[in-house]
Amino acid sequence: MPQMGVSVAEGTIVEWRKRPGDWVEADEPIVQIDTDKVETEIPSPASGRVKEILVEVGTTVDVGTLLATIDTGATPGEAHADEHVDAAGQADVADAEAKPPPVSPVVRRIADEHGVDLGRVQGSGRRGRVTKKDLLAFLENGAPKLHSESPYVEDQAPAAGGQELSIMRKRIADHMVHSLQTAAHCTTMVEADMSRIEAARGRLSYLPFVARAVIAALREYPMLNATLEGDRLTVHEDVHLGIAVSLGEDGLIVPVVHNAHELSHEGLAARVKDLAERARDRRLEPDEVAGGTFTITNPGRYGALLATPIINQPQVAILDLEAVVKRPVVVTDEHGNDSIAIRPMTYLCMSWDHRALDGALAAQFLSAVRRNIEEWRS
Amino acid sequence: MNATSEITYLQAISDGLREEMRADESVFCMGEDIGAFGGAFKVTDGFIEEFGADRVWDTPLAENAIVGTAVGAAVEGLRPVCEMQFADFIACGFDELVNVAAKLHYRQGLAVPMVVRLPSGGGFSGGPFHSQNPEAWFLQSPGLKVVAPSTAEDAKGLIASAIRDPNPVIYLEHKNLYRHVKGEVAEGRYETPLGEARLAREGSDLTVVTYGAMVHTALEATEDLEGASVEVLDLRTLQPLDTEAILRSVRKTSKVVVLYEATRSCGVGAEVASIVAEEAFEDLDGPVVRVCAPDVPIPFSPPLERAVLPQVDDVKEACRELLAY
Repeated sequence: MPQMGVSVAEGTIVEWRKRPGDWVEADEPIVQIDTDKVETEIPSPASGRVKEILVEVGTTVDVGTLLATIDTGATPGEAHADEHVDAAGQADVADAEAKPPPVSPVVRRIADEHGVDLGRVQGSGRRGRVTKKDLLAFLENGAPKLHSESPYVEDQAPAAGGQELSIMRKRIADHMVHSLQTAAHCTTMVEADMSRIEAARGRLSYLPFVARAVIAALREYPMLNATLEGDRLTVHEDVHLGIAVSLGEDGLIVPVVHNAHELSHEGLAARVKDLAERARDRRLEPDEVAGGTFTITNPGRYGALLATPIINQPQVAILDLEAVVKRPVVVTDEHGNDSIAIRPMTYLCMSWDHRALDGALAAQFLSAVRRNIEEWRS
Repeated sequence: MNATSEITYLQAISDGLREEMRADESVFCMGEDIGAFGGAFKVTDGFIEEFGADRVWDTPLAENAIVGTAVGAAVEGLRPVCEMQFADFIACGFDELVNVAAKLHYRQGLAVPMVVRLPSGGGFSGGPFHSQNPEAWFLQSPGLKVVAPSTAEDAKGLIASAIRDPNPVIYLEHKNLYRHVKGEVAEGRYETPLGEARLAREGSDLTVVTYGAMVHTALEATEDLEGASVEVLDLRTLQPLDTEAILRSVRKTSKVVVLYEATRSCGVGAEVASIVAEEAFEDLDGPVVRVCAPDVPIPFSPPLERAVLPQVDDVKEACRELLAY
């Protein structure tokens, strides 16, 4: 009787799923047990032939009591004479037909090597047998490991219907998951008063101004203008600024403004406009999406206030520019007098890699960006 | 690289034999009607004119005497090449071959560099005495080597290797290939190594292991099998078998058809199947399938003979079944 939770002391046999002489695979349900908390299936701890069942249905026994023995030295296929004969003595034909045929040695071996539950693999062989080809294709397509963490919860079958992700979405998915698995993500936020930029921007968007402020701050804190590959951190002098460009439902691409530190905000505006247009027309050159040292993403125009962006690997930080909204804020004049004013405010949210730097530096950098924004002089 | 010319399988055997005789005076031929008549199938046509009756012997119809004489000559340092008019007739020379030639090295440390050429195989209504594929008999006789070329190139290269080998070598030449199979063959002497199989076609879904005339049957049957990628392995040497090549292929494709023209039980294919089962069990994705003749004599009647000998359609069906397994 297995220990099913700290407070469970005993269990009652509800149903044996196997009889003595039956073959049982490891993790295959072997017995149904009722405790005062839950009724549950118990998976077999090993593959083998059920030798003896020691506790009958309806009996309640303490945790730790031996319930049955399994002969792990037995081989499958040597069924006992009446294995497929039901209680009435009739051959269970329907059951035999419903069961998938045994798998071949090579399929068994590959499945074991990769920990694949063959029940999840669609078989194309005779009577639905899983062939080596089926299994290799399953592995090739990144077999989802759907094993439940809990032995008492059945694995979920993949949902029916739906459609496969586009190539671009798959690539984005790969990059994002890879980044989350790679970097120690941490997000720091500061609030910035956009009044000066609002006054200066005219018909331009906020982005080139913020980009300019970021570039100046990166020159001041080059540790943020860096790439981390494995254990190797490279701090860059030149700023190659990635700008995330939405392609609508298709996805997202990050063209890079190379040597962005050489450009004024007007120059940045022109370059970003050109790159974004060509990105939407799918006319970017491969070099134009490579080599970035820092990335700005700008979903703010859709009204979002806060976000925790995912770092564009192998960079060490990404700045998220959120919506600019008018808020009542406390302003202090040169004489130290406080008053409440209405100002266009925004949150600058930056995710950074805690492997490469620490929070103090992230905050100092963001404060520098805020200062550059709030003290904007064109 | 020597110049090549397109010649028949038969011409390739003849060329290989002639070039060995020209190069090595210890090589000589003996057999029934091989001299003045040039051999029942004309392999030694023109030999007696070139080499004389001392090196191209017309013998009595006495296979035991032919093989026995060859054993003695070989032990004395000559390199005899015996022709059985039909492979079937080797039965009459069996004792000298399996009890004497095969075991002399084991018993007395003597080299027995002799070759016995066996025109074998059916497919032309030769009936039960002129159509057999007796190779398995010799695999049961340690001390003999056995080769079975399928192409003109290998026919010439293997006759040379067989003659130069210090052991008695059984050289199976398939009568149906004699004039039906042609190929580019290098001029001059060369050897095809004993014990090395040849990949007749590379593939990834299934392997057909075969030899001799069945190589061509296999290639034709699997050339266009609903897009399946079928590997065809030509064993070339049956003793010693190229176990490595067999296992390499099986480990790649995981499905094996063993195709042989001889009768089913204890044939070369059975040996191949055993090796695969023993050494590549965990690489198999289906049963090892034999396609071969049933355990019956080869019928004279053309439709019956076709029913008995493996045909292209039989191979197709077996491959389809196994591919779908």
